[in-house]
Amino acid sequence: MIQLTWLQFRLQWLVAMLALAAVAVVVGLTGVHLAHLYGTNVAPCLVQLQANGNVGSCGTTLTSFIHSQALLQNVLRDALLAAPALLGIFWGAPLVAQELERGTFRLVWTQSVSRRHWLAIKLSVVGLACAAVVGLLSLMITWWFNPIDRVNANVIYWQGPINLNLNRFDPSVFDLRGIVPVGYALFAFALGVTAGLLVPRILPAMAITLPLFISGRFAVTWIRPHLIAPVRQSLPLVWGPGAGIAQGGTGTGFFVIAPTPKLPNAWIYSNVVVDQAGHAPTSQFLQSTCPALTVDLAGPAGNVGGGSVSTAAPGPGGPGEQQVHACASAIAARFHQVVTYQPADRYWAFQGLETAIFIALALLLVWFCFWWIRHRMA
Amino acid sequence: MIRLTLVQFRLQAIIVAGILVLAAILFAISGQHLYHLYNTTVAACPAGSDCSAAKDAFLNNHVILRQLLGLLLLLAPALLGIFWGAPLVAREYESGTFRLAWTQSISRGRWLLTRVALLGLASVIVAAALSLLFTWWSGPFVRITADRFNPGNFDERGVVAIGYALFAFALGLTFGVVIRRTLPAMALTLASFLAVRLAFTFLLRPHLMAPHQASMPLQSGEGLGFSPSASGITFSLGTPNIDNAWAISSKVVDSAGHTASNSALHAFMVNACPAIVSAVGSGQSTQGVNHAPADPTVFHDCILKLAQNYHLVVSYQPASRYWTFQWTEMGIYAGLSLLLAGFCYWWVRRRIA
Repeated sequence: MIQLTWLQFRLQWLVAMLALAAVAVVVGLTGVHLAHLYGTNVAPCLVQLQANGNVGSCGTTLTSFIHSQALLQNVLRDALLAAPALLGIFWGAPLVAQELERGTFRLVWTQSVSRRHWLAIKLSVVGLACAAVVGLLSLMITWWFNPIDRVNANVIYWQGPINLNLNRFDPSVFDLRGIVPVGYALFAFALGVTAGLLVPRILPAMAITLPLFISGRFAVTWIRPHLIAPVRQSLPLVWGPGAGIAQGGTGTGFFVIAPTPKLPNAWIYSNVVVDQAGHAPTSQFLQSTCPALTVDLAGPAGNVGGGSVSTAAPGPGGPGEQQVHACASAIAARFHQVVTYQPADRYWAFQGLETAIFIALALLLVWFCFWWIRHRMA
Repeated sequence: MIRLTLVQFRLQAIIVAGILVLAAILFAISGQHLYHLYNTTVAACPAGSDCSAAKDAFLNNHVILRQLLGLLLLLAPALLGIFWGAPLVAREYESGTFRLAWTQSISRGRWLLTRVALLGLASVIVAAALSLLFTWWSGPFVRITADRFNPGNFDERGVVAIGYALFAFALGLTFGVVIRRTLPAMALTLASFLAVRLAFTFLLRPHLMAPHQASMPLQSGEGLGFSPSASGITFSLGTPNIDNAWAISSKVVDSAGHTASNSALHAFMVNACPAIVSAVGSGQSTQGVNHAPADPTVFHDCILKLAQNYHLVVSYQPASRYWTFQWTEMGIYAGLSLLLAGFCYWWVRRRIA
């Protein structure tokens, strides 16, 4: 039975392996270069960034490094994003639907091997192959992106022209690294098989698998922030990078922008300035405490217009440094900073949980397939 | 024949029309909100003042939806090719129904022509509707980023999507006709469509028209800096940002119009900016590659001296060529599709007798 499955599956496996080998060559050649560039040019810049809190003259180095191999970055991201869906569509959906559509199930299911045994072998051989293909792809891509991810993780220290802030928890990074893609692949595969069993025609089964898979992925992205309760940390308000006073849309008044917390790679849910009772400083309070800053913001000479948002920071033509300090300490006397976040060291806990959720969903679907094939298709 | 095709195609058409209506509702609701937000924040920011904060805040809206819709636009042509193009003839072969279908009063040439025309038209309508919606919806974002030639914007807006859809459909049809098996035809359609799209976007598109050349002051290059190299101190500069234009490359040229070599720049800088040469050469100031010395005035003076003798020559595609590029690319894809369709017609009539 395993031999038969292998014979039928051989060509598809070969195609997948060829594709993986092509990716490996490209990733290997460019990845070594990227790692070398990181070691010689970028790592010293990051040391400087962490030590001084500013990027100094490394700006161009970091920006161009993050954007290096832009085409390949996009291709690799898209490849790993699409791989689980493609396997679900091309390996999962036709697995049973093909036999049902062509009528070959009459022959296959009346042999010495029971139909449950047949399904078990097919599912485990092709399912394991799915996990292996996507696991290898994810491994290569995680390795390739490692230097770029490390730069992105440290950009939080730097108030500069890089406005990506793609830390490891950002969906466009988290979903395409580590072990979660394996969970997605198994889920997509099980979804495809189930669709093929219920809609016993190949093309509709393939077409249904795609939107179902995408909805499942999105649903879990929404659930993700609630998987583990976040950490709530109160800090004294220290006027630092990122802090400022801003004016919201017309008529909404002034508010304080909290300084950027130094939590590299953490997943920050909220970062606010509040008093003991949990209230943010009112617009009136800010206007009376920091008249120079707010007048400057509202006035035509300020760096802010009608309804736009801007920060008040010392600079040429703006409020003086002394005024900013006086204002900051006045605010800090009554208010403190509250950061709600997931610490960086929970990364693998989140990866493991999400993978487990998708594997559980896959197993549930597989269990349903067995039940259906036994009780509903007699 | 048209009626038969319509009857066979009914369910798929209804499903796709349903998806389009849903997408249109999604686009309309969120797009309304986006335009309102844009008009009250970014557009309300007075000219001459620094509106970057308002722009940054606006760009953070609907990040996930923007990615999702962009993905939909990117995928739609491929899906049309896979699910409408590839099975069109391959299914008939695979299920053996071609024996019945092709022995009726209607010739197989006309059978093919009717089906291809109807489904091709449907593909064009789907792609055009999606592209129109997304072009409108993403308008405020592109007005801020001013990078219409960026592949992420160019490929998902305007008329090119129609060309992609036609091409993917014709590609699917061709693989189905030649291979005669649905699944391999679908897989090949996807792979070759992606390969052609990537190759066209990154290899062919920059060469569709000869770029313009413009002289610009040295300071207009983004990320100006100096770095050590084997032949002395080199000058590192990015390509300048010209709104909505496509900057392809830039080089440093001296007043006589000759490209400045690294050694010439080095010799000039040894005289003009000794402080920078010694700082960069010894690697003191920073260990990074591109760096200015600690004192910004030294850096500024050096740039000013350089700018008196050197300037940038930038080759770029001007913003006014946007629609020329759009229609040219669309035309090329549509032409390729016609060629493929013609090949299929010939193959079905002559080769398979």
